[in-house]
Amino acid sequence: MPTTPETSELSADYLRRLAAVQPSDLPPELDLFDESTARRGIRLNKAAYSLKDAHQRDLFAKDEEAWMEQFGLTDGEREQIRARDWIGLWRGGMSIYVMVKLSGVTNTPLPEIGRQMRESG
Amino acid sequence: MAHIIGGIGASHAPSMEHVYDAGAEVRESDEWAPLFGPFQEVSEWLGAIKPDRLVVVYNDHMDAFFLDAYPTFALGVAETYPIADEGFGARPFPPIAGDAALGWHIARSLVADEFDITICQELEVDHGVISPLPMVDFSEGDSDWKIPIVPLAVNVILHPLPTPRRCYKLGQALRRAILSYPEDLRVVVAGTGGLSHQLTGTAFGAVREEWDKEFMRLLAEEPETLCDYTHEQLIKLGGTESVEVVNWLAMRGALPATARPIVEAYYAHRIMGYGLAAYDAAGSPA
Repeated sequence: MPTTPETSELSADYLRRLAAVQPSDLPPELDLFDESTARRGIRLNKAAYSLKDAHQRDLFAKDEEAWMEQFGLTDGEREQIRARDWIGLWRGGMSIYVMVKLSGVTNTPLPEIGRQMRESG
Repeated sequence: MAHIIGGIGASHAPSMEHVYDAGAEVRESDEWAPLFGPFQEVSEWLGAIKPDRLVVVYNDHMDAFFLDAYPTFALGVAETYPIADEGFGARPFPPIAGDAALGWHIARSLVADEFDITICQELEVDHGVISPLPMVDFSEGDSDWKIPIVPLAVNVILHPLPTPRRCYKLGQALRRAILSYPEDLRVVVAGTGGLSHQLTGTAFGAVREEWDKEFMRLLAEEPETLCDYTHEQLIKLGGTESVEVVNWLAMRGALPATARPIVEAYYAHRIMGYGLAAYDAAGSPA
């Protein structure tokens, strides 16, 4: 950062804290849910979060396509849900905490998601 | 004036709910006794010291809060906390009694201390609260909870997260909030979450026993040292989801520096490093 009268207000301590608040040196097996994930996964997360509601779970069981219709999902995202492609959904930005709700309505045990996660490398 | 008489650090996990709900035989089995036995000790300790309130620092798992507006710190000021439906139907527990007056006092005190929390008049609590709570605070005979709670949720899900130091300072501010409450209440502060676990990617299921035990030692003896860790360091040491341990750090911040654990247990099992610590703070000078 070039030194200007304004940037000289930014202390070394502040700059250290600013850098530390966003983990940037993690190995690929340790992912984060951050700006990039949140922006990428906005539709998928909204869809899976809806399954907190019993009516949404009933709709999912009755007509999965109609359920998906509500969230503006892309064709690729719909296909990942149809295929129970947990790795694809995760890479698409779906948080594990809403993925668990989707695992419930699709009768997928967490160890099965875990197995796919471990083999995703 | 209210007092802080103890602290509890405890893991939270859906697995603990499944085991609890399966009944005494499963809880006491060889597989689960190493975790549920120590919880029984903590339950007996609470039965002996009889706190009037539990302040529970925890994190929600997208059951009360969602990504549309995710609060960094959120405090319950309700008279009752219903059990959240996490996507499988809510567990069959009655709502947990709250203490709105204490909650509002804590809200004012935290804001005076420059912790600008989200104030929640309605809040459903998820397994961040109710996976460990029945083990220490539920009377199966009376089918009801025993101790009213004030829940305080910390964002450990959507980065940027509040730093470990910030969470420790939150605990210190919580201490001032409780000590300045005019009613003569005996309060235990709990922090839930962790220890090591990793729920995504090729490292799914990784547990880091050595670090978890070191974390528990540092929490007891050198909590200020833990404040210097970054989230990146915590994630490398214990996994992405292990950052929940900042809730334990908040609990520790609410206790006197001299407080020491009277129950400590650790059990690495399947995909979780389960930790449990109970601190007696009744006789400790601040």
